[in-house]
Amino acid sequence: MRLNPSSAVANTLALLVMATCFALTARGEDAITPEQSKFFESKIRPVLIKECYSCHSTQAGSAKGGLRLDTAQLSQLGGNSGPAIVPHDVDASLLFNAIDYQDFAMPPKGKLADSVIADFRQWIEMGAPDPRQTEVSKTNSTISDDDIKRAKQDFWAYQPPKPVSAPEVSDAGWAKSDIDRFVFAKLGEASMMPAPDADPVIILKRLSYDLIGLPPTPGQIESFKKAWAKNPDDAVRVTVDKLLDSHLFGERWGRHWLDLVRYAESNGREVNQTFPHAWRYRDYVIDSFNEDKSYDDFVREQLAGDLIPAKDDADWAEHLIATGFLALGPKSLSEQKGAQFVMDLADEQIDVTTRVLLGTSVACARCHDHKFDPISQSDYYAMAGIFVSTATYYGAPASELGLRGSIQNRNLSNLIRLPVEDPNPFDKTYSREEITRIEDEIRNTQREQAEAMMARSGNGGQNQIMNLIRNRAKIEALSTVLGGIDDNGNPISFCMGVQDREQPRDTPLLARGEIDQPADPVRRGVPRVLADQSLHIPSGSSGRLQMAQWITSASHPLTSRVMVNRIWQHLVGTGIVRTTEDFGFTGETPTHPELLDFLANRFVESGWSIKTLIRDITSSRLYRMTSDMNDTNFQKDPENKLYWRANKRRMAAESIRDSMLFVSGELDTKRPRASEVAKAGYMQVRDGNLFNFVQADAMNSGGNAREQMVREYLRQQAAAGGNALDRRPLFDRMQRGRQGLGPRRPGEMMSSMVQNAMKNDRVDMVNATYRSVYLPILRDELPRSLEVFDFAEPSMVVGSRETANTANQALFMLNNDFVVLRSEAFAQRLIEEVNSPEGRVRRAFELAYGRQPRRDEVAAIRKFVDDFSRQTASSDRGLDTLAAICQSLFAAAEFRYID
Amino acid sequence: MPDLATDFGQHLQTISDVMSTTSLFSRRDLLRTTSAGFGYLAFAGLSSFATANETPSTDPLAPKAPHFPARAKRVIFLCMAGAPSHVDTFDYKPELNRDHGKGGRFGGRLLKSQWQFSQRGDSGLWISDLFPEVARHADELCLIRSMSCDQPVHPAAQTQMHTGTAQFVRPSLGAWTLYGLGTENDSVPGFISLSPPAGSSRNYGNAFLPAIYSGTAVGQPSRGAAAAARQLPMNTSPVPDLRNAKMTSDQQRSQLNLIQALNQSKLEREPHRQDIEGVIESYELAFRMQDAMPSLVDLSDESEETLALYGAESGPTQGFGRQCLMARRFIEAGVRFVEVTQGGWDHHQNLSTALPNSCESIDKPIAGLLADLKRRDLLKDTLVIWGGEFGRTPAAQNGDGRDHNNKGYTTWMAGGGVKGGFSYGSTDEHGYEAIENKCHIHDWHATILHLLGLDHEKLTYRYAGRDFRLTDVHGNVHDQIFT
Repeated sequence: MRLNPSSAVANTLALLVMATCFALTARGEDAITPEQSKFFESKIRPVLIKECYSCHSTQAGSAKGGLRLDTAQLSQLGGNSGPAIVPHDVDASLLFNAIDYQDFAMPPKGKLADSVIADFRQWIEMGAPDPRQTEVSKTNSTISDDDIKRAKQDFWAYQPPKPVSAPEVSDAGWAKSDIDRFVFAKLGEASMMPAPDADPVIILKRLSYDLIGLPPTPGQIESFKKAWAKNPDDAVRVTVDKLLDSHLFGERWGRHWLDLVRYAESNGREVNQTFPHAWRYRDYVIDSFNEDKSYDDFVREQLAGDLIPAKDDADWAEHLIATGFLALGPKSLSEQKGAQFVMDLADEQIDVTTRVLLGTSVACARCHDHKFDPISQSDYYAMAGIFVSTATYYGAPASELGLRGSIQNRNLSNLIRLPVEDPNPFDKTYSREEITRIEDEIRNTQREQAEAMMARSGNGGQNQIMNLIRNRAKIEALSTVLGGIDDNGNPISFCMGVQDREQPRDTPLLARGEIDQPADPVRRGVPRVLADQSLHIPSGSSGRLQMAQWITSASHPLTSRVMVNRIWQHLVGTGIVRTTEDFGFTGETPTHPELLDFLANRFVESGWSIKTLIRDITSSRLYRMTSDMNDTNFQKDPENKLYWRANKRRMAAESIRDSMLFVSGELDTKRPRASEVAKAGYMQVRDGNLFNFVQADAMNSGGNAREQMVREYLRQQAAAGGNALDRRPLFDRMQRGRQGLGPRRPGEMMSSMVQNAMKNDRVDMVNATYRSVYLPILRDELPRSLEVFDFAEPSMVVGSRETANTANQALFMLNNDFVVLRSEAFAQRLIEEVNSPEGRVRRAFELAYGRQPRRDEVAAIRKFVDDFSRQTASSDRGLDTLAAICQSLFAAAEFRYID
Repeated sequence: MPDLATDFGQHLQTISDVMSTTSLFSRRDLLRTTSAGFGYLAFAGLSSFATANETPSTDPLAPKAPHFPARAKRVIFLCMAGAPSHVDTFDYKPELNRDHGKGGRFGGRLLKSQWQFSQRGDSGLWISDLFPEVARHADELCLIRSMSCDQPVHPAAQTQMHTGTAQFVRPSLGAWTLYGLGTENDSVPGFISLSPPAGSSRNYGNAFLPAIYSGTAVGQPSRGAAAAARQLPMNTSPVPDLRNAKMTSDQQRSQLNLIQALNQSKLEREPHRQDIEGVIESYELAFRMQDAMPSLVDLSDESEETLALYGAESGPTQGFGRQCLMARRFIEAGVRFVEVTQGGWDHHQNLSTALPNSCESIDKPIAGLLADLKRRDLLKDTLVIWGGEFGRTPAAQNGDGRDHNNKGYTTWMAGGGVKGGFSYGSTDEHGYEAIENKCHIHDWHATILHLLGLDHEKLTYRYAGRDFRLTDVHGNVHDQIFT
């Protein structure tokens, strides 16, 4: 069924069950009428005082279950089990639940009169008007208006980039562009000269790894060398254009962005729920880089895609997917206090927004004024109001049962329905019979559950509790299936993202960040030190769109600078501001402030074109310098702050993995559809496995779903693997590979096979030959091939990765199945392409390192062949030897460094 | 297919061999000469150590001098995931027994401990009957009965116990320790976490510290006493990629020689490359680990008597007993920080049966560990720490259970410069809240670092423009517990 936009809106809104909608109410927002006041004073307050206060009030000094009922705010905040009062919502109000003796039974000494219970129902339905207000906490800001004014005047990062032009330099034709003139001038001031050009092969390798994350082929090296000999500038220009046009570019540069926005396909933390639709955001980012989407559009879409006009449904769907930016973060799903969860979620969104886009940490001001930057606590709550007025969708589709989740997940959420038909490719269609069967199964399980609850004595046994948990998980799995299909059983298309809440409101400042210590509400807005005027937020809007417009305005002092600095860092090795996420007082000052402003201005003038900026930087002379050591310059500038040479860099984990596949001839550059996580569906990740046993068990009552699933998975792997080199049966190889032990015992075959498959392969994806950016990225369960090489921690904003050398990396290179398989494929490729053993070694060096082996290297290989053949008796000695050489080339330092 | 090895011999004969084969085997000597003077700058982040170390080393794991003389040289942290009840084990509360059945401060009925407390050892420490074996070592124990943390839920509190904060990703206590002190065995990682719970990598992670300080997980995740008993067969390889499925050790040594020759060749061409030195070092450590780790985790050379001491042969103590024994072996081998996790302490119900089972599974192993360390003269400078992420309510939950309680609970330490037979701090009469000599988790961290000779305010790392430390802006050293 094709939806038109308006019906899609209706659908979207209909699906948005506001499970996490509970937010702190600002005081005095809804005036109480005299009738309401009379009702409260005569029918509600006396009951509260008489029946509840002795155990649940500040004045009585008792807060059983963490609940206090003294004031409207405290009642709405609720206790450990959730909000006691939710205005207009009797079912969600636990106080009503308790006095009605549903799940709770209060007061314990006896049920209240029916008429009193009816009064409470009526009161809550009218919105629980309540004159009892929490005394406003007094807070004093240590940051005065004067401080802010002074910071704006004095601190470089709070002033818009200045118009600058490149300095005149007498550089004897060294400079190729204005960038070079800025750099040369600084070097000149320090009486230093820039390094000479690097070898053209090194320059091509830099370009290739920097722009697409893969090495050049020997053929490309040859033609680049020829072109360079004719005209270096043309050679670079043509190569850069070709690389920028390749779809591989977005896969490399999109990943830089995914590092920043803590992209992951599961929640992490205590409830590691999968995000089966997160891949849409990943693909959106990659596509945006490939099409050179202007950066201001890119940012606006991610912050407020749901609020900006769209050309058509496809455009609109793209905008909605973009808002996944705000929904992908790790959340404390087990948090018991809804209000706490809302504030923590807003905090995470503030943090990612301000550190990624503005190089400023506003989240520091949650509990007190920022210690270093002129950002006050009220600035924080001004922004918090925007996010609290925004609903975030990160969960699983609701069915007619509403949202269902596991015991641990106390903060359920829905998803956003896309206005186009583009379901997860692994979602299946259900027949009427199947749907009926699922519905029956849910009813049966619910009945069983209800009976078990009734039968539960005060001392419920462990088994009984396990049953309850299992049944609940089953209902969750089945409900999610129903929620994911339309009336005809066809899968519905969803994405993660955000929408404005229906009633946006300002958020009170919270003294010390404590949810039960609200001070006055703060008008929604943005940090004053960064803005010339306050946001104009139309009524009924959260202010998110206005915030997005403010961030992407051409005159914003930080947005363009922060992004050009990131691009510079990815190409040059270090940022002009080295603290890429901190442009504040504790960050480092720019080494080349004028150059930074120059680039920022050019960036905006070029229509925020990332590819243009990359072209500018890569065609500079600076980019071509050798990275060789120069003792004199090193003494003067050991950290290379002035760029007297190029920086040597360790390759990213993805480039290391992809290059092994590329060199072995196995890399599949087609984008796989969706993700392994989409295939697994809604589930909790445990022990690094992605087998959705709960759903499988729920769908096929009886039978051993676990064994069947793993068998099927291994069958697919064996079929898809098609690895000519793989002479051992897959099961056998897995056995030996994982355990490294002698012959297996027949009886253990299946269970250890299942264990092995569960433990590692599903997430490690040893047999996958597509690019690393498409591997499943689960929080706390990263594929080993990425994790060992300092992949970005997906719970953090990561602007620059670590590049440590660890024993784990060495163990991985020496022993991991992935590396062994690539080495074998590489050897096989060499044997197919080249006849002479010597030629094969030469070819191996050309493919892996882009050069011929040196004499000492040949000698080392010769020695290795002598030793190894003496130690090897197998009939495949030749292939094994060559494979071991190939593996050594992967393992050696040269394979992972860009000079 | 022609035999490649033979062909190689023929074809390569013509290429002159300029490489001296002996130099392949003296990499470490060569490294020492090439690395002189450099390398240090590449570890600019470590500069806060410059004051403590007159001669900077290029090896970030080399043993480092502490800020001041250390009482303890190494740590074994027995981490009780799930939060054991303090009022039933190490925090004796006669008033709780007296007030049994009365209303608790925050609801529920007070629940007395079903287990008898008595005074143990010469010191007369109060310990319940749940720990008869550990109680024999009462005179070694330093109880801290005034603990508190900020987090009332398990994962968050676990993370705070390990990293100081639940909100941000920060380095763990072990990573800070390794960063501060380096390690004394270059064949095994300096920080090992035995059987950490699945998904808890943050709790032994390095966060922004260089990855070399990260904990290395060894063994399968632990879930509880029963599961632990089934885990870690004596000869399992507990570290990923530690074994090569295809090659013999000799073959792999030959291959490693080739890899290192390639690295060496590059280093000779570019003698200033501290990063290449790092790669070379990493392969050497990896290869040594392949050798050292399997024998370290293989308990078959321990005597019957020792296995029995830890309860490591069979029964409910087997799982934890083996891990404690393995911890001792690692410590003995020079590992700086070993953590052993035992899960299954979350007794919301069935306290009367489940808690004794949990205690039984660790009682003998811990007593064995203390005895073994003592007789090997290791206890004097090994700090043994026991504790969960918080404690449990004095009031009952589900009739026969206790809820989470993060405002007051007990941890203990032994050896490594703490007073034995000493009880420090206290909770209120029922055990809800720490009231005397309160030891917040930040204080606990500061105190542990102090025992290791590290000043928690000086142990900093510059990251993203700011100096971070384990205790953030908090932490008081509780020096009354020091000998």
